[in-house]
Order: sequence, then structure tokens, then C-alpha cells
Amino acid sequence: MKAVASWTWDAQDETCGICRMTFDGCCPDCKFPGDDCPLIWGACNHAFHLHCILKWVNSQTPQPHCPMCRREWQFKA
Amino acid sequence: MDLSALQSVGDDFIDDILQSWTGFCDCTHFLLHDSTSIDVNPMVEIQFASFVHTLCKHNFNGLLQDYFLQALEDAFNRNAISKLWRDFDNFYENNVLKKEKDNLCEDILQRTLKEISLHKAYHEKCIHSLVCFLQQHAQKNSERYIFDTDGSSILSKYQLMVSSLLLSSLPCHFPDVLRSYFDQKLEYLSKLMDTQCEEEDGGKFNDQNPVLLDSSDVGKGYDQSFISKNYNLVTNIGRVVDDLRNLGFSSLAEDAYASAIFFLLKTRVHNLAGDDYHIPVLKSIKEWIQAIPLQFLSDLLAYLGDIPESATDLCGLQSPLASLPSSVPGIIMSEGLVRWKLRLEYFAYETLQDLRIGKLFEIIVDYPDSCPAIDDLKQCLHYTGQHSKLVNSFVSSLRYRLLTACASTNDILDQYISTIKALRTVDPTGVFLETVAEPVRDYLRGRKDTIKCIVTMLTDGSGGNPSGPRTNGDSLLEELNRDPENIESVDYEDDFDISIKQAWFNAESWEPNHVAAGSSKGSSRRKFDILGMMIAIIGSKDQLVNEYRVMLAEKLLNKFDYDINSEIRTVELLKIHFGESNMQNCEIMLNDLIESKRTNTNIKASLCEPSQSENGNVSLDILDATIMSMNFWPPVQVESFNMPAAMDAVLTDYANRFHEIKRPRKLSWLKNHGTVKLELQFEGRTLQFSVAPIHAVIIMKFQEQMSWSSNDIADSIGIPVDILNKRITFWINKGIIAESHAAGIESNNHVFTVIERTDNIDLNDITHGDCEDLLANEDEHESLTSVEDLLKKEMGVYEKFITGMLTNFGTMTLDKIHNTLKIFCVAEPAYDKTLQQLQTFLSFLVSEEKLDFKGNLYLLKK
Repeated sequence: MKAVASWTWDAQDETCGICRMTFDGCCPDCKFPGDDCPLIWGACNHAFHLHCILKWVNSQTPQPHCPMCRREWQFKA
Repeated sequence: MDLSALQSVGDDFIDDILQSWTGFCDCTHFLLHDSTSIDVNPMVEIQFASFVHTLCKHNFNGLLQDYFLQALEDAFNRNAISKLWRDFDNFYENNVLKKEKDNLCEDILQRTLKEISLHKAYHEKCIHSLVCFLQQHAQKNSERYIFDTDGSSILSKYQLMVSSLLLSSLPCHFPDVLRSYFDQKLEYLSKLMDTQCEEEDGGKFNDQNPVLLDSSDVGKGYDQSFISKNYNLVTNIGRVVDDLRNLGFSSLAEDAYASAIFFLLKTRVHNLAGDDYHIPVLKSIKEWIQAIPLQFLSDLLAYLGDIPESATDLCGLQSPLASLPSSVPGIIMSEGLVRWKLRLEYFAYETLQDLRIGKLFEIIVDYPDSCPAIDDLKQCLHYTGQHSKLVNSFVSSLRYRLLTACASTNDILDQYISTIKALRTVDPTGVFLETVAEPVRDYLRGRKDTIKCIVTMLTDGSGGNPSGPRTNGDSLLEELNRDPENIESVDYEDDFDISIKQAWFNAESWEPNHVAAGSSKGSSRRKFDILGMMIAIIGSKDQLVNEYRVMLAEKLLNKFDYDINSEIRTVELLKIHFGESNMQNCEIMLNDLIESKRTNTNIKASLCEPSQSENGNVSLDILDATIMSMNFWPPVQVESFNMPAAMDAVLTDYANRFHEIKRPRKLSWLKNHGTVKLELQFEGRTLQFSVAPIHAVIIMKFQEQMSWSSNDIADSIGIPVDILNKRITFWINKGIIAESHAAGIESNNHVFTVIERTDNIDLNDITHGDCEDLLANEDEHESLTSVEDLLKKEMGVYEKFITGMLTNFGTMTLDKIHNTLKIFCVAEPAYDKTLQQLQTFLSFLVSEEKLDFKGNLYLLKK
């Protein structure tokens, strides 16, 4: 039997708060969704494209904050 | 004229004059009456001379000449003409057989001509003697010499008279007789040549002499001096022509043999060219012209002493080509001959061109094989310049034969592609192509399946249309494969040197546009590559890519394995042509499949470590999954239904494992897609099917109980009854399930029962192959939202705008609606559709009877 399925990220939100693309899509720099452009959750439970949040975090010195809730950004373990 | 002279002369002179005059008249009559003898009676001549002398003395030479001419005319009229045409009339009135007629014709023609010539010669002789006497007299009295007596004027007067007499009494069929005479002669001649040529070829062949075979210069096989050997024949013809010319019929004669030669040439061309497009014929026709008609003409002209060609004051008009071809050994190309050669060649080109243009449709049908014919046509057109003829006739034959409802879109496209290729050879500037392509393109735009066919042809080299075996179908794929090289070579030209060279080359090979083709478009719009022309039909790249995406999705979803090599290749090719970004979605789709394969293996591998899969009899092994990134696929229809518990468990298990491996990602099943291979076991037979999941679910229900009422089974699967009824027909058609009406109240409640025994069913109906076809057909229509539906969905937003507009304005043209939407729908969702998309949508609204379409105006339906 060959079945057809579709995948979604198990996130509460639809779109990435940074690039405004859907989570099921990919960030503007990526070509392929899914494993190539994963999501990452912060300690505050906000999810973003990994690439998006990394860019954000790297541009915020010394201490990055979550773009959504302004709490201190920490990757969820 | 001489009245004053008469007044001054005395009576004795008058007597003298009268006597001489009477004598002169008698002599003249005597001379002319007996016109059969050639020699002039010397006795009469002496008398005649003395009379003339006397009369001249009295200055009557003018009167004398006039009288003599009048007498000649009478004589000619009486003796020659009445006799001459009688023969012809007899000949035409008798209905003789064709062959006899030919012989007779030759006979009569030659005889009558001879007779007339004799008459004429005799008369000329008479004139000559008269002139002699006049001259003698004039010499004697040189002081009184006032009259032009060198004879040329009177002779020419006579000739003029003869020819006008003949022409005025000419029977209307005389030109025909001439024609048939020449026809027959020339035919005979060319037949002789052909047999000669064959004999020689045979001889050569037998000899196996390589030197002889090698000497294949112009007119090989035809012996140049052969016609000279048959000099007899040519002399005969020459004599006839000469006679005719002497009678003042030179133009008539020339017309006759020219038309005979042209006729011969025409039949020759038709014979050679005929319906065979696989060999070039132009060269052999040229050789033939060189060998037969030209040779004949040169001999004829030589015989005639090249007289008519002495009128070469037309030198200035001579075409520049004329100075070139003195290539024929043995024939000295005189002015006249060159002109003949040009005439003949032009005629040959024109004939061949007309022939080819008439058959251009057939030629293009077997295009790659008919290249020689197309090359010939190209050369012909180069000389004749009658390109507009080609365009007009071809366009009308296209309209008549190709652009009809009964031609399949695939065939039209095939022919279109061949046309593009063929016309590219004929006219590298592409102007005709533009004109010819226009109607085809317009027509194809009106067909619904055009895009689909094009995409299939583009991507499916193995023959996209199921209607039959064809080799041409993959020509587009070929085009896809071929073009990348060109594109690469364009990249190459960044190199400075090469680009200069290329530019120079382009400049040198520049040719002016053919105005004759009547193309109304500017040159900037010209497209050469076939792909470009195909896209021009569709309208835009995006539409093509979209259509391809839908087709690709369909193909991928129906795959049972993960083998996508051919699709990857196609997408790569398309990427080169349409740019990466356009093909992004397709690439993601392919990537999904690769990813699915990997995930699938991973999940299977995790199975080895026993975890929670001890849930029953069905193991995960039977399940393969295609996992899509929904956002990048074309919209997929989702129907949900209840799976049998066992299957459901497997699916859930698979989804859980997926969730485990790809941690934060979840799987949701699209239950109506995919394929199920199943084996049905009955008493004494097993059948294998591969079907859509819904069919599998339905048939599995019958494992539980042998018969179901339609309501019950629909409830238990969780789908509406009408859908169930539709689906179950699949099994009914296969002869697995029988339908019967329940005895209940509801008439639409059917009872389905499994047929266990197959005694009354022909097993041939239920072969494995059948059901795959059916499956494919069903899927094509149902599994995916078509591009059209997609458009409808997208355009639905604007329906309100459009109806609003029409309520305000009453009627609007397509353009106006388009522009208004562009102006006002700038906010979300911005209007970004093309004119064609809008047109499609509007015609859809018209078909739903929401709008009316009159002339070119849209208005609201009341």
C-alpha cells in the first residue's frame, strides 16, 4: 500500500514572526522546507525558523530578546 | 498624281502611254496567273521590261508599282489563301484519331507552308524583276531619278500585305495546329533523348568503367551532341519555323514553340517532382533543361541563323545573371540563348514552386523526410520571389485541413512544430513563420486541452498521447534537450573576440524582411525557438509552469515506488529554460519524494527494534508513504473516510514513528490519495488490483458481510451515499459486486452483494490491465484540482467587483474590465491576472448564466 500524507510543524502559530512565511514553508534564504529549514523554539515557547532567529540573535548584542515577547532569548532545550 | 504630267503631254504620247499601260496590265496578269511555275517566262519578261521602261519614261513608276502590288494581292488571295486554309478546315472537320491527326497535322502543315512559300517566292521573284527594270531605267536617266527604287520598300510592302492577308484570313485553330505540331516534335525528341540516355547509362553500368562514371559534369548521361546527330529533325522544325517567319508569322511561331517547350518542361517537372518529397529534383531539372530544350533551341537558332536575336538592342535590359552562365561546353551561348535559358529556368522554378506550394501541407506532414523538397522550394522562392503566394496558400490549407474540429490537438501541435522547423529553413528571417503561425496560434488558444498537450509533449518523451504510436510527439522533448547547448553557447560569447566575430557574421548574413509576406508585426517580436513559439500559444511561461506542476503532482502521487529519475531530468531541463525560481515548487515536490523515501526507510529501520508495533496482524512493512510539503504542491482535494481499523492502526503507527523521528513535525494523512494493491480471493480464483484507497475500503467492507445496503455501507465508511454510489461502480464494472434494488420503501437504497461465483462472467473482462486504466482515468479527473478550478477559485474574489462594475456601466469590453480591475483592485488581494485569465473567467461566468456576452461586450444577465 502506498499512502499519501502531508507534514506540518507541530507549532501553535502559523507563520514565523520574523519572516512572516508559514512554518510549513521555509525562510527566505532556503529553498527546501522541512529538515533543511527547521523550526526552533525559545524558552518562551515562541517558534521561529532557525535561520531567521539566528540572524536576529546574532544582530542583537550583547543580550538577545525574543522578537515576540521581549523576554531574554534562550533556546529551548 | 500624274495629272499635271498628263496635261503636258501630247496625244501621240498618250497613245503610247495607253498602249504600254494595257500591255503592262496584260503582262502582269499573265505573270501572276500562272503562279505554279517558278521561272518567269523570258519572252514575257522582255515585253514586260519594255512596257515598264516606256511607262517610267512618262513618270508613271508610282502608279505602276501600285498597280503591280494590287495585282499581286489579288493573285495571292485567289490562288494561295483559299487553297491554303481549305486543307486545314478539312482537317479539322474530319474527326480522325488522335494519332492519325498528329501525323496529318504535320503533313498538312508542312505541305501548305511549302505551297505558300512557293507562291511567295514566285511573287518575290516578279517583284524583283520589276525592281530590276525600274532600277535600269533609273540608272539611264539618273538626272530624273527621284523615286526610291532600290526595291526594299516595295518588297516590304509586299510582305506586309501577305502577312496581313494571311492573318486576316487565319482560321482560329491555326495556333492550335502549330502548338500540336511542336508538342509532338518535342515530345518525340525528348523521348529519343531519354532512351538514348538510358542506353548510355546501361552501357556505363555494364562497362563498370570508373572513369566514365566519374565524369559526371553538367548534363551527365545526356549526350551533348546527340541532338546535333538528329539534325534531320531539327532541320525539319527549323524549316517550318523559317517558312512561318517568312510569311510574317515569326511571333506566332515563336509563341507556339515556346509554349510547346514550356509544356514539355512542365510535364517534366511534374513527372520528376510528383509526390515524392525525399529527393531533391531541382538539379536534375536544370540538367535536363540544359540537355534538351536548350540544346534544341541552340540548334534551331543556329539553323535559323539567329535572325530574331539580331534584334539585340535590348542589351541594356539584360539581367545580370545572364553574363554568368556560359558554362555549357559545346554550346556557344548567344544572347538569345542566354535569354531563353533564363526564361526556361525561371519557368522551371515557378512550376516547381507552385507544385510544392500546393503540396506544402503534405510535405510538412512528413517533415524530416521531406527536407529535400523544402530545400528545393527555398531555392525556387529565391529566384521567383513569390513568397506571398506560399503564405496565402499555406495559410488557407492550414485553415481548411488542420484547424478543424476533427483534428486532435496533438496532431495540430505536431504539424505546427514541423511547420516551424520547415519554414525556418525556407525563410531564416522568420517573417512568414510569423504570418503562418498567427492563425494556428489563435486557433490553439481556443482549445481547452492545448496547454495540457503541450506540457505532455514537453515532458513525456515516451509518447504523451494514448491515441496511438507516434514518433513526433517527442520532438518537443528533443527541443528541450537540444536548446541548452545553444544557451550555453550564448554564455560563451561573453568573450570579446567571439562576440565581435559573431556580430560581424550576423551583420553579413542580414537579409531584409520580405515585405511580400504581409506580416503586420514588427521584427522585434519574432521568435525563433520552438519553445518560445509554444509559450506564445499558451500566453505566458507561468501558465505552462503551472500546468506542468499540476501534471507533475498527479504523476508523483500516483507513483507506487519512489523512482523519479525521469522527472528530475525533465525538471532540470525546464529549469534551464524557464529559470530556477519558476521551477522552485516543482523542485520541492521532487525533493519531497526523495525525502519521503529516506524517511520511509528510516521508519522501516526503526521497526527492527521492537517497540509498540505489536498491535496486531498488519505490520508496517506493507505501507510506503509519500510525504508532501503541502504549501508547495498544487491544491489537493481532501476527502476523509473511515479506514478499516487495522489499516487505521498502521497509519497511526506510521505517523507516530514519523513524529518520533522528525520530532516537532507531525504527519496528517490524505486518505483519498495513494494506491492500494490488493488481492481478492474468491471460491476458486484470486484477482489482483491496484486501486485508490476508497475502493479498497469499500471492498474490504465486504469481508465483514457479503451484502450491504448502500446507506449502511456509506454510514460505516463515513462518506455521502452519492459518492459511495459513484465509487462502487468501479467494482460493479469489474464484476466483483452486483447491485440490486432493495424491496424497501426508499427507491434509492440499493443492495450490493459480492459475486462469489464467476460462471456467468467472462474472465477476460476482468484482466488486471483494465483496472489500472480505469484507475488512471478516474484519478486524472478527481484527485487534483485542475488549473481551471484553481483560476476560478482565485478569480472568485473579483466576481463582486465585476458585477458591480457592470451594474454601473451597463456594458463593458474585456479590455475595459481588465483595466478597471487593475486600477481599483490594488489593495489585498491585488489584481494580478492576465487578460486571458480574465477572459477565461468571464466566459465561465457567462456559461453559468451570470453574465451575457454580445458582440464584444459583457453585460449582466437579467
